[in-house]
Amino acid sequence: MNLSILLTFTLLYNVVLAKIHTFNWTTGWGNYDVDGTFERPVITCNGEFPWPDIRVAKGDRIEIYLTNGFTDANTTLHAHGLFMKGMNQMDGPPMVSQCPIAPGDTFLYNFTVDDNVGTYWYHSHTLGQYGDGFKGKLIIEDGENNENFPYEYDEEVSIELSEWYHKTSEELIPSFMSLFNPTGAEPIPQNLIINNTKNLTWDVKPNTTYLLRLLNTGGFVSQYFWIEDHNMTVVEVDGVYTEKNTTDMLYITVAQRYSVLITTKDDTSKNYAIMQKFDDTMLDKIPKELELNATSFMTYNSSAPKPEESYVDSLDDYLDDFYLIPYDKVEVYGEPDYTITLDLKMDNLISGVNYAFFNNITYTSPKIPTLMTVLSAGTDANNPYIYGTNTNTFVLNRNETIDLVLNNLDSGKHPFHLHGHVFQLVWRDRPYDSDLGEEPHAYNETESHTFPQYPMMRDTVYVNPQSNFVLRFKSDNPGVWYFHCHIEWHMVQGLTIVLVEDPYGIQSDPTQQINQNGLDICKSVGVMTSGNAAGNDDFFNLKGQNVQENFIPGGFTAKGIVALTFSCLAGILGLATLAFYGLMDIPDAVEKVADDLSIPLTDIVDTSTHFT
Amino acid sequence: MGNKVFNVAVFFVVFRECLEAVVILSVLLSFLKQSIGVKDKKLHKKLVIQVWTGAATGFIICLGIGGGFIGAYYKYQKDIFGSAEDLWEGVFCMIATIMISMMGIPMLRMNKMQEKWRVKIARSLVEVPKRKRDYFKLSFIAKRYSMFLLPFITVLREGLEAVVFVAGAGITTQGSQASAYPLPVFVGLIAGGLVGFLLYYGASRSSLQVFLVISTGILYLISAGLFSRGAWFFENYRFNKATGGDASESGDGNGSYNIRQAVYHINCCNPELDNGWDIFNALLGWQNTGYLASVLAYNLYWLCLIIVLGLMIFEEKRGHLPFCRELKMKHLNPGYWIKNKKAKELTEDQQMALLNKIDNLEFDENGEIINELNNAVTMPGSSGSDRDSKTDANKKDAEVKTHIFEE
Repeated sequence: MNLSILLTFTLLYNVVLAKIHTFNWTTGWGNYDVDGTFERPVITCNGEFPWPDIRVAKGDRIEIYLTNGFTDANTTLHAHGLFMKGMNQMDGPPMVSQCPIAPGDTFLYNFTVDDNVGTYWYHSHTLGQYGDGFKGKLIIEDGENNENFPYEYDEEVSIELSEWYHKTSEELIPSFMSLFNPTGAEPIPQNLIINNTKNLTWDVKPNTTYLLRLLNTGGFVSQYFWIEDHNMTVVEVDGVYTEKNTTDMLYITVAQRYSVLITTKDDTSKNYAIMQKFDDTMLDKIPKELELNATSFMTYNSSAPKPEESYVDSLDDYLDDFYLIPYDKVEVYGEPDYTITLDLKMDNLISGVNYAFFNNITYTSPKIPTLMTVLSAGTDANNPYIYGTNTNTFVLNRNETIDLVLNNLDSGKHPFHLHGHVFQLVWRDRPYDSDLGEEPHAYNETESHTFPQYPMMRDTVYVNPQSNFVLRFKSDNPGVWYFHCHIEWHMVQGLTIVLVEDPYGIQSDPTQQINQNGLDICKSVGVMTSGNAAGNDDFFNLKGQNVQENFIPGGFTAKGIVALTFSCLAGILGLATLAFYGLMDIPDAVEKVADDLSIPLTDIVDTSTHFT
Repeated sequence: MGNKVFNVAVFFVVFRECLEAVVILSVLLSFLKQSIGVKDKKLHKKLVIQVWTGAATGFIICLGIGGGFIGAYYKYQKDIFGSAEDLWEGVFCMIATIMISMMGIPMLRMNKMQEKWRVKIARSLVEVPKRKRDYFKLSFIAKRYSMFLLPFITVLREGLEAVVFVAGAGITTQGSQASAYPLPVFVGLIAGGLVGFLLYYGASRSSLQVFLVISTGILYLISAGLFSRGAWFFENYRFNKATGGDASESGDGNGSYNIRQAVYHINCCNPELDNGWDIFNALLGWQNTGYLASVLAYNLYWLCLIIVLGLMIFEEKRGHLPFCRELKMKHLNPGYWIKNKKAKELTEDQQMALLNKIDNLEFDENGEIINELNNAVTMPGSSGSDRDSKTDANKKDAEVKTHIFEE
């Protein structure tokens, strides 16, 4: 009795304390020199750059009135890592959970953060935009002033890592998705940045434990991160508290977050280098002028000299996140009810452009946002066919254990992000090096694999080159969720699948119905709000759906055979003519030579006349 | 693999040049046998030794020069061509095509080649310096060792020509290395020598002709392939320039070539990467991507060759090009007009006179030529009608042939 009263009181207390954070944001363009070397157009928020950080407490409500201030581009916003339970339409990916917001339109992202704590970020989910600066941190405190955080610390600091290009996505994407980029080489960034600048100075106090929230908000390269002579104790990854794990170096892929505890030294006489380093194995080529290391400064004493760049002997000793253990010690979920197996590869289609594929399908947006197809399909909603044959859509039943097996046939590392969930990373194979002649290695279910008892949980994880991983999660969040490579270039190439989770549960939930604002923005961009992927009301008629280009035919086509036949024929005819000429009798060789030779011999004959 | 140890183009160039040198030798040896062979065996032997020494010395010198030349080329090649490699490979392919095309057809006319050398050699043997003072310079040595100097200079000249050809043809083969030279050069020399041997010791003329037809056929297959490869390299260069990398070296698969220009493509058999296919590439110009340009180039090459051969056949049968009674093949060569060769051409009678002179060539006991004794030369115009001299010429020709092929 007492307990229940106490519980009620606590709940009430929370509700009373829950705040509403309202933001009015208008996108736009402005020129900023972010990395101190080049001024370029960046996406601004109300004319300012960088975008503001959001800091709320668990249970608070966030209301973002996002106005598209561009003149020629649509936009959307995604709060990365938030579960959005019952609020799928606030998740952000265009043509998945909502229509794109047309220029001049405003969409209200209105959601509470009930189930997430820790380090998150928000970014545009419209292709290329977050690389142009449309992104910011989203920190969710666990209780007021983060009082429920499980570990002690004195001060809190956050550091946002990224790479930076001197060209806009608008310039980079067309040359990336081009016949003349046949290997799909990702554009090479010009710099690594930190908190939207270079060579940051972090003033620290001695003998203080800092909670350092690290985010990689880049769109491409993973970064190694270390601080000279300081170790870091990982306590949170992607919003999941972990058991303490101390390391000298972190490896952070794009979209991953780490919270680490750093205790400063007693001695304030010296300053230390904060190092970022490209994972240069991800770069197609390394231009001479590219600085692979970026140095920032952990400053104990501003009058002491700035630290020199810090070197390490090896990059191999970074923390392998596979071995992290969640603070809550969630046991590995049981055997899966459903397994999705994805084979990742990159290939060129008939136009010569390089695309990314899951099971030979490169994600091609449907004509109707998938969530709206779910809501309008009635009982057909559990049939994946209606979501289109080119969208890689999988339908999941409610509250099942799902295994997602990913076989990477590509020789690159890829960081994968699942919307709306954290997953358990139950298996990750070692890299298989193509330079050593190793072949891609697919996950073999028939072999026995020992999964960790308490697998690491997070929302973004990388797969090794030519390797595989297995993610396990519960389908406990009805909605339409993207699972995609978080390298923005690979998103452009279509490295995405869609999970329709519990479609009937979505239909029956009143909060999941598209609100008026959501329907209005569709009207502006001319997208219908019901029908299958092709926009047809007959759900099993996909005529007119968006499809990928054709594959390149293997071997000889008709025109190749014609070309080779003609070439052979020409060769044979030529040789025959040659043989005919060669074997032809020459009746008067001397005369011919006399005719052909044109050396001035006349004088000889003239001379010889003397003797006759 | 093929490019590392055996460069096919090099083989054929060496073979061809060797053949030419061998013809010179055989012509010279025939001369000697004819003029003194029976009269003075000792002198004959001495002169034969001179001929061989001259040829050998010339050969060794140009082998040295060739080796140095090629070595130097490969030493500096990277620095010179580095980034524009495909463009240069294309240019070299085209140059090699032209060179091989030009030298291939004359090879088919072995007897014509022999005649050419007979006349050339005859000229050098009987030539009388115009200025008196020249006698006091090298004349003694020159005269005494003419049977050494003549083969020495001709072999050296042919050899240097071969060096230039070899360098030109060799570097056009993808990934060719200096190590790809010795073997084809060696084999080319042996093959050329063998033909010379057969030539001198009387293989039947028709079987020799068949042999020449086959080897010339292969030479033109290579040449057509080179032409096609030249076009391919230009296309590849264009694509690589646009992509900023060398796509074709990254593999066989999609993206390794410009699909919009491709007529066919197969994901294997890349001559740059797969063993075995590079030989196919060197011989026939095979590429696992057929670009429109390279396929067209291949077909057009053969078309042009067929047309040229057709014109030559016509000319040999009728004495002029079709539709133009006065026009001959050589008149189409701009050099013919520039050098004003027409004025210096030998008339048939002069030709006859020269050959007669040669047949009556005599040597003194030192091996010196006594050309003053020549009294058989008939003045042009003084030997009756054209018709007679032509008959004589044919008769003479038949005799010469007999000498060369049957002795």
